[in-house]
Amino acid sequence: MSSEVLLTVLIVLPFLSSLVAGSLPANARNAEVWLAGAVALIGLAITMSFYPDVTGGDVVRYEIPWLPSAGLNLVIRMDGFAWIFSMLITGIGFLVVLYARYYMSPKDPVPRFFAFFLAFMGAMLGVVTSGNIIQLVVFWELTSVTSFLLIGYWYHNANARDGARMALTVTAIGGLALLVAMLLVGHVIGSYDLDAVLASGDTLREHTLYTTILVLMLLGAFTKSAQFPFQFWLPRAMAAPTPVSAYLHSATMVKAGVFLLVRFWPVMAGTEEWFWIVSSAGLITLVMGAYAAIFQQDLKGLLAYSTISHLGLITTLLGMGTPLAAVAAIFHIVNHATFKASLFMAAGIIDHESGTRDLRRLSGLFKYMPFTGTLAIIASAAMAGVPLLNGFISKEMFFTETAIRNPNMFANLALPIGAIIAGIFSVAYALRFVCGVFFGPPPTDLEKVPHEPPSLMRIPIEVLVLICLIVGIIPGIAIGPYLATAVVAVLGQDTPHYSLSIWHGFNLPLLMSIGALVGGVILYIMLRPYLALGVEGPPLMRRLVGQRIFERILVTISWKWAKSLERWAGTRRLQPQLFLLVLICVVTAWFALRPGFGPVKLQLSGWDPGFVILWLVGIFCAIAAAHQAKYHRLASLVLMSGAGLVTCMTFVWFSAPDLAVTQLLVEIVTTVLILLGLRWLPKRFQKGDADHIALPTKLRRYRDIVLGVFAGGGVAALSYAIMTRTAVPDGISRFFLERAYTEGGGTNVINVMLVDFRGFDTFGEIAVLGIVAITVFALLRRFRPAAESVEKPEQQRIQNAYDNLRPNRQSGDTVNEYLMIPSVIMQWMFPVIIVLSAYIFLRGHDLPGGGFAAGITMSIGFILQYMAGGTRWVEDRLRILPVKWIGTGLLIALATGLGAWAFGYPFLTMAFQYAELPIIGKVPMAAALFFDLGVFVLVVGATVLILIALAHQSVRSPKAARSSVLPTHAVEPPPPPTLETSTVEAPGGAS
Amino acid sequence: MSFLDHLIIMPILLPLGAAALTLLFDDTRREIKAGINFAATILLVAVAIALLMQTDAVTREGTELTVTYQLGNWPAPFGIVLVADRLSAIMVLLAGILGINALIYSMARWQAAGPHFHMLFQMLLMGLNGAFLTGDLFNLFVFFEVMLAASYGLLLHGSGVLRVRAGLHYIAINLAASSLFLIGVSLIYGVTGTLNMADLALRIPHVPANDLGLLHAGAAILGIAFLVKAGMWPLNFWLPTTYAAASAPVAGLFAIMTKVGVYIVLRLTLLLFGEHAGASFGFGQTFLMIGGLATIAFGTVGVLASQSTGRLAGYSVLVSSGTLLAAIGMGDRAVTGGLLFYLVSSTLTISAFLMLVELIERARVAGADVLAVTMEAYGEDDEELEHEEEVGVVIPSTMAILGVCFALCGLLLSGVPPFSGFISKFAMLSAVLQSEDAASPIPASTWWLIGLLIISGLASLIAMTRTGIATFWATLEGQTPSVRVIEIAPIAILIALCLGLTVAGGPVLRFMDLAADALHTPTDYIEDIIGTTPAAHAGGAS
Repeated sequence: MSSEVLLTVLIVLPFLSSLVAGSLPANARNAEVWLAGAVALIGLAITMSFYPDVTGGDVVRYEIPWLPSAGLNLVIRMDGFAWIFSMLITGIGFLVVLYARYYMSPKDPVPRFFAFFLAFMGAMLGVVTSGNIIQLVVFWELTSVTSFLLIGYWYHNANARDGARMALTVTAIGGLALLVAMLLVGHVIGSYDLDAVLASGDTLREHTLYTTILVLMLLGAFTKSAQFPFQFWLPRAMAAPTPVSAYLHSATMVKAGVFLLVRFWPVMAGTEEWFWIVSSAGLITLVMGAYAAIFQQDLKGLLAYSTISHLGLITTLLGMGTPLAAVAAIFHIVNHATFKASLFMAAGIIDHESGTRDLRRLSGLFKYMPFTGTLAIIASAAMAGVPLLNGFISKEMFFTETAIRNPNMFANLALPIGAIIAGIFSVAYALRFVCGVFFGPPPTDLEKVPHEPPSLMRIPIEVLVLICLIVGIIPGIAIGPYLATAVVAVLGQDTPHYSLSIWHGFNLPLLMSIGALVGGVILYIMLRPYLALGVEGPPLMRRLVGQRIFERILVTISWKWAKSLERWAGTRRLQPQLFLLVLICVVTAWFALRPGFGPVKLQLSGWDPGFVILWLVGIFCAIAAAHQAKYHRLASLVLMSGAGLVTCMTFVWFSAPDLAVTQLLVEIVTTVLILLGLRWLPKRFQKGDADHIALPTKLRRYRDIVLGVFAGGGVAALSYAIMTRTAVPDGISRFFLERAYTEGGGTNVINVMLVDFRGFDTFGEIAVLGIVAITVFALLRRFRPAAESVEKPEQQRIQNAYDNLRPNRQSGDTVNEYLMIPSVIMQWMFPVIIVLSAYIFLRGHDLPGGGFAAGITMSIGFILQYMAGGTRWVEDRLRILPVKWIGTGLLIALATGLGAWAFGYPFLTMAFQYAELPIIGKVPMAAALFFDLGVFVLVVGATVLILIALAHQSVRSPKAARSSVLPTHAVEPPPPPTLETSTVEAPGGAS
Repeated sequence: MSFLDHLIIMPILLPLGAAALTLLFDDTRREIKAGINFAATILLVAVAIALLMQTDAVTREGTELTVTYQLGNWPAPFGIVLVADRLSAIMVLLAGILGINALIYSMARWQAAGPHFHMLFQMLLMGLNGAFLTGDLFNLFVFFEVMLAASYGLLLHGSGVLRVRAGLHYIAINLAASSLFLIGVSLIYGVTGTLNMADLALRIPHVPANDLGLLHAGAAILGIAFLVKAGMWPLNFWLPTTYAAASAPVAGLFAIMTKVGVYIVLRLTLLLFGEHAGASFGFGQTFLMIGGLATIAFGTVGVLASQSTGRLAGYSVLVSSGTLLAAIGMGDRAVTGGLLFYLVSSTLTISAFLMLVELIERARVAGADVLAVTMEAYGEDDEELEHEEEVGVVIPSTMAILGVCFALCGLLLSGVPPFSGFISKFAMLSAVLQSEDAASPIPASTWWLIGLLIISGLASLIAMTRTGIATFWATLEGQTPSVRVIEIAPIAILIALCLGLTVAGGPVLRFMDLAADALHTPTDYIEDIIGTTPAAHAGGAS
């Protein structure tokens, strides 16, 4: 198979099989293990097969176009360093799968577990084989997400939930920082391709953005690798099932951080900033982690802090910036993976077989599980850096590097001292692990008698410990060539000469090693009495719990501050929102006006006094309406119609009869409809005295008035400026005047515009009218009057009381007789209004009128009928189906517009002709007339529907009790409502 | 004219016809109404796809950039024109996709929660499509009105105190904004004497210097009207409440309502105040930039501070709007491509999330008793209760499916790799950075945009994790909610589309880049509209 296919399979297979694993049934435990194990082995085999291609610094690349225009292609890139990491990921991955087979309870629904596990493995492989730095971030974040799912696998456990969340939050913050860092790298270098980046080290280091990039990149690496001050999430993550911990702590997750540091070492390292930030963070982590590890009571906690410490060691090495230190770092990455994985597995076995991980309860287990004990002891020795084990060699390389004379005084002292202190601590905690668990008196406090695990469960540990030994004894043969491959891939021509042998002679590093071993033993013996007390947490640092600090900060920022900020920067009340809207409008318009207001002719003479008085009345009405709106709605409404009438008269004054007619009719209908609605609004009473308004309220009102004056005045000024201008000479209006008759076929330009030139606007507007009517109807259908509005109006009560006093009258007689004569006249007017409406309709194309005006007129006829006879009377006699009229009107208009298609013209193209009708005479028979008919039908339907919606309130049984107690939460959708009566418009079963 | 020439108007006429048709049937015949609605919406999606291909194909041949349609056969700029370019077509398709999914969702329960749902639904689609397709400023107003009127009705659909209160706030704000729209259009018309957008673009460079103030005031007031719709801080406080109050399918469809404002702002800013606009070049750009950034910040704060998932979703809408506005404010061609990608991706995500919210809430309360109480309080005594089967198919492992959808929504919203949420953010940020010369310092606005985008993503992640853990992990005893397949399917479809955008990122981004190019170089667009001659005129022909 070609390398392209193999590389693709390596990355894609884990994700695909993750999907498969997730969809297997819950009890398919063995199938899951076979699947996951096979995937890991295939990955291992593929990786191995690439070995010849990557030795000596060679690189295998496969590029798949993804977002070529944004410079983001998928590049799978295998070099020596990626190779050694892939080996670790797949190899240890396989061992973990095998181990998990025995670790996970048969009752556990493992498909989910293995699905997450495989996805995580795929994500890790993706990180190490990314040949595009953005792609690296993609897989990086995927590891965060999948590890979140793995850590939270036992989510019924609060620790798992919290641990998972913390891991995700911390590593995602780092991942986002890393994304920005990579974007900036792309900005500096002009490419996201890893090879291009690796070739541009000098450009990067000399760029002004270097420090920014470095800090962001380190944020990514440090959060992932649990470096100080982000180390706290890792111990929390041990809430994960132990196989997961073994994997996360050894070959994956935390290693991604140091992987990144190594990957970018050639281009980023070697500067002062790098040295100080990286090595000091590493050193602090190294010492602090080792110190904390000694005092852990939880077996996994001890190992977790030890991981932190070892990662600190690797980071410190990388921070030094010398090629030899980098070699040591790479070597220690591999060594740590082997012994830490085996130790976690051993801890899991101990937990599994004895029922606890608490060091205070464990003791003398060697008797019960000698094999496991031996393996764990060897692995611990490797961790402590005992000779003849792999940990010793890389640790000695570390000592060598720290001991090298450094020009900087601080580094010269701090590095070796820190190294030796951490060495002492690590020996102490390794001893604690071994002695605490396996030696001493037999355990007394265990639920079950511990015994050896199934032998297959031990195999992974045996393999890993074997590797520890082989590498430790014959490093040059066992690991030498592979390490060299990885090192050359990273360092290239800077690869230093190094030796992997155990014996380098009696030198300072060896002395340091011996010192650490002896010191560690002494420290452990000294601490034994204290440790026996079983106090939780390390002394001096007990109060400084990173987790708690982090959570407190997170809660403070993401909850408390956010809540108060939201309150401060937002509001849920309507009034301030409208205030802001107007304010922003005024301010932006003010700024926008700066370039010039245009030529304004302020004409102070030649005003007609009649017109001025008319407008003064209109202005008075408008202001008074606003003033009265809150407490005197009726007065306000009357005043508003006053303002409306003045507008009508203004139109007449300026010879716009069309507008005047329409405005008048609309005024009439809306006023009547609002009057009908007014009856159902609860009364409002002015509370308290006007003089006793609190000061803030007063100030707010003044503020509102000032803004109102500005906004109103501003709009007036703008209108004046626009209306007094000379019309734009080449504007589009001339076109309409010239062609209304010749091409539109009508002498009433307004009507031709409405039905022809801009018929599409009318088409939309009638839809609006229809929608509004339907909405009003839908809203009012569920409306129940407020309790205080339910009782009959005062007038009716007086009339009924009058009836009750007289023996020959029934209650309600007077109400029925009220306005009897006007009622009769109104009923007689109905046919007259119909004729009038028809007249207005037909003259529309040439004279003021048209479908809209006619429709309104027609609906006035209906309103009169309702007023005269009452709802029931009208509906007993007329079949009123306004909803269907609305639909019909829309369809007529639509059909008229579509008619043009038949003749090969666009929608709404109007033909016109005059027809000679008997009696009526010459009638314009433009297609527009049909369109207007649609408008007419719709307008009637819409107006009548609103009328009915209001009118039916009075015939509905009010539900006083309910309207006063309204639930505070939103309504669930009710079951399909019921039938409305065949005339849809008689809601609530009124009839 | 062949049928294909009329294709562009179909997204407007089809919903109108369907809406009118549903009115002819009584509310008892709900299946017929739903059927009409469904058929029309499916057709709409088909038409939108055809239109998309038309607009994409037109340019590939290099002959014509846009599809235009002269209503009433009146020549531009005198009559009204419809214009479809890539951007319009993608918006129409987006509306159709959201429509069909919201509709499927509503068929489970919500369509029955009040009268005339289907009519209002189709009318909203008509308004949306009209707004996307029109090339005339006043006609845009008309379609805004259609859209808003229908949205009032849909928001109130389902009734209830909260909904009615939120609805009336929404109506009040939008009526105010509509008045501003009219004032703005009048000012612009007064100064330039035209309403056709392309014609406006031609005339604006020639507006005399001392008239510019009036023109700009008009544009500013008009812009405010759009920004209220788009949800720019501090004009957006109505939005989270409104979205949280709307019934789930309505909220799902509303996800595109803010995008209408964004669309118009984008279209008009680049068309009217682009590079060729002379003295008016760059008008409002800084304002959009700052406003957008403030909106992201406010949305982020709100996302963190939200206790209810509904409000969290509402604030996510704001984050998305803010991101788009700030990106428009950058005024960079390459950024615009990424912005369009983000627009599509975030709209699909938010729509899915808004619908998912209801199902999750159901999992939380999952009590038939709660439902019963509300029914008791709100049921209509004069309506007979007809019981629908509550559970059609109880999906096995409902919670698992809901959980997966929720997790994917979380990833998409927060822009965590690898899905389209990430790609679109990356495309924008990368373009912002790449357009700068590597040697020159990065401007502050770019830093702000990067910082806020990253932080808003993080905030979404934190909030979504918090909610997700509380919902799916911490409630073991919680009953499995009854969710019907037709409720979860639309959500799954929307999320699947987002995943599709991830896989097909390359071609999609190419399409968006071409759309962005056309927006930034509108000369062809203008030429197409003004230069098209009408068919031989029909006056008196028949």
